[in-house]
Amino acid sequence: MSQETSTFAFTVPWLNRMQQRINADPEMEAIGDWFTTAFSLTCGEGRYILRFERGKLVEITQSPRLDVRCAFGFRASPEIWAKFFAKEPEPLYHDFFAMLMRVPGFVLEGDTLVAMQNARALHRAMNVMRTVQPS
Amino acid sequence: MSIEIEGSSHRVFFEEAGSGVPLLCLHTAGADSRQYRHLLNDPAITNLYRVIAFDMPYHGRSNPPDGWWLRKYRLTTACYVSTIRAFWQALDLVRPVVMGCSMGGAIVLKIAADYQSELRGVIGLESSAYAPGRYNEYLHHPAIHGGELVASYTYGLCAPTSPEASARENWWYYSQSGPGVYAGDVHYYSIDWDGRDEVKRIDTSRCKVSLLTGSYDYSCTPDMTREVAKSIPGSKLVIMEGMGHFPMIENYPVFRKFLLPELEAMARMP
Repeated sequence: MSQETSTFAFTVPWLNRMQQRINADPEMEAIGDWFTTAFSLTCGEGRYILRFERGKLVEITQSPRLDVRCAFGFRASPEIWAKFFAKEPEPLYHDFFAMLMRVPGFVLEGDTLVAMQNARALHRAMNVMRTVQPS
Repeated sequence: MSIEIEGSSHRVFFEEAGSGVPLLCLHTAGADSRQYRHLLNDPAITNLYRVIAFDMPYHGRSNPPDGWWLRKYRLTTACYVSTIRAFWQALDLVRPVVMGCSMGGAIVLKIAADYQSELRGVIGLESSAYAPGRYNEYLHHPAIHGGELVASYTYGLCAPTSPEASARENWWYYSQSGPGVYAGDVHYYSIDWDGRDEVKRIDTSRCKVSLLTGSYDYSCTPDMTREVAKSIPGSKLVIMEGMGHFPMIENYPVFRKFLLPELEAMARMP
């Protein structure tokens, strides 16, 4: 890992690189037609909302005000996120469904129905994001 | 082939290859016997074994029984055992080895407990005696595409180190199950099944037990299989490093290295 667990945080430059990777992803191009939603990523006190339209990540909002809406979100501590984004993730941290089942501190919050309606594209988006290492 | 299961006729599809000791293979929840296609084509196995893989009723090319539209599909431990037993007897298999994965890996423990004098052994892949936590109502829900959810929900059960094409192949199988079939299977696996006491009845001097679990399996974790092994004196436990929940399909070249010694030992059983 290139980032210490204790200092792990999402950053705008990193999320922007994730955005480029997602928006260039041929699988998302194939499956993302109906992936129009917004979800949050919360790491400790840091919170971002990612808004998707037809499979493209079109907007990243840092520290959103209350009028920035999202349907659902993932929330975890810096230590847990660091394991998910590790270059070689250890078992139980290698997939968000694994973490939802086995890592109590990893939480899917909000409207879980919307999350699961978009399970395929959401899963792909998270897996693509994981391929972008923090700088 | 038509067989009678719990009083009603079922049309069951199966494939087989090879000759020798019968090896009956049980697929995972919501999937079908295509998961065993590599094994069915491996001469190192088919030279020793008559490999037989069948689709459970409601799965793959096996039909549900008549009147299926009148009841919710819910697999139970009793029905699962009855199905395996009916198929086994219909083919008149003598002292087979029964191998199953995930829910199949769970039920082989029950099969071993109940029929140990009629078996050479069982091979439990991703075997647990008690596996709560996989069921949720979204698995069969009118507002969710069940095939895509179930396939995505199980995709991460493969190890990240397994070849992508193989893991994707399993995704495709999962996307094809009938509405509510995976949920009905998980009802057995995560709600009805509790074999923690029964596994203690298995006598490995009569029926060999090999337990192989992938290090990345989060449905049946290595610790869950260790618990099973502790309860069955004489059982063999193998933790497959870098493997997930679907060894026979997600990474067969690596899996066979773990499997062959177990099969060779069981083939030598009288």
